[in-house]
Amino acid sequence: MNETTTKPAAKDLDPKLLEVLVCPVTRETLDYDRASQELISRGAKLAYPIREGVPIMLPEEARELED
Amino acid sequence: MVFDRALVRQHRTSSAAQFGDYAYLHARALDDLLDRVCLITRDFETCLIMGAGPALADALDHHDARAKMKHIITADLSEARLRGSPYPSLCLDEERLPLGEARFDLIISVLHLHWTNDPVGALIQMNYALKPDSFFASALLGGKTLHELRHALHATDEAQGRAQARRISPFADTMDFAQLLSRAGFNMPVSDIDRVNVRFGNAFSLMRDLRGMGETNALIERPREVPSRDYFLEASARYHDQFGHEDGKIPATFEIIHGAAWAPHPDQPKPKRPGSAKVSLAEALGTQEISAGDKAG
Repeated sequence: MNETTTKPAAKDLDPKLLEVLVCPVTRETLDYDRASQELISRGAKLAYPIREGVPIMLPEEARELED
Repeated sequence: MVFDRALVRQHRTSSAAQFGDYAYLHARALDDLLDRVCLITRDFETCLIMGAGPALADALDHHDARAKMKHIITADLSEARLRGSPYPSLCLDEERLPLGEARFDLIISVLHLHWTNDPVGALIQMNYALKPDSFFASALLGGKTLHELRHALHATDEAQGRAQARRISPFADTMDFAQLLSRAGFNMPVSDIDRVNVRFGNAFSLMRDLRGMGETNALIERPREVPSRDYFLEASARYHDQFGHEDGKIPATFEIIHGAAWAPHPDQPKPKRPGSAKVSLAEALGTQEISAGDKAG
């Protein structure tokens, strides 16, 4: 999970999605990191990728965060 | 665990590009689900459509129900199935829903729940994501779906002295969807079955369509070796012998099981408590009550 490709100007996440989503592991709300195009779950220490504006809410596709 | 969820995802991804050409069952199921939505005299603010991406956007946009749905979000286990969706979309796993409590006014689920290992668990999570007194409608494949193909493959295994392999995913038999919905905490559940008979030139064109839909076998205990072409030729011949029509076509059965229910709310109608009636049944029917000698406990 260490993609280093530079993404084209990412489609911004639809605010409606942010309203409905929680982390599927901890069920807590997520932080939207616009620069990295990720949804961060602090509790699960996971960053869910957003590809072409579509959040990929699968733990196995998420990047593990370090402490 | 019965289904290999990673493989289900892979099937949906690899079929995504041509899915639109093979989405006829999905389009039919979605159309029927939207008909149900039309019957409700209310509009829906935030709506989730699961299992139906841009391939079904036309079916959605041309349906009267569309006008009742304000914000639509589409979701699928594979993001490839969502590519080009005109609506905000998210990739999710039905077995671990990433949806917060009471976020939706309507959830429509189109032919995907039959691939979950625990449909009731998935339904409970969808119920949780619905606001109280919100509507849920779902269609899944069940019962006698592909029974002809299953029969032809078993007969071929038997004739060739093989162990009967599980080449087709099992579909829940005689499943009572209304009962599953009520186990998942929904109120006023209803369910019915849409039996669809599709005609094919041969078993190979049936298999091509199943691949196009992403509906091929995803059992954990599936046969790992690909059988020879001869094996499939024999199975195809057996299919024709046993089920074929006079014009040389073969039928394939799909059972689309529909279910619909409401997320619970205190104001919804409930069955009255036993013994709470003010009028006796005999009185209501205008007849004479004849005691059977029993006394209510």
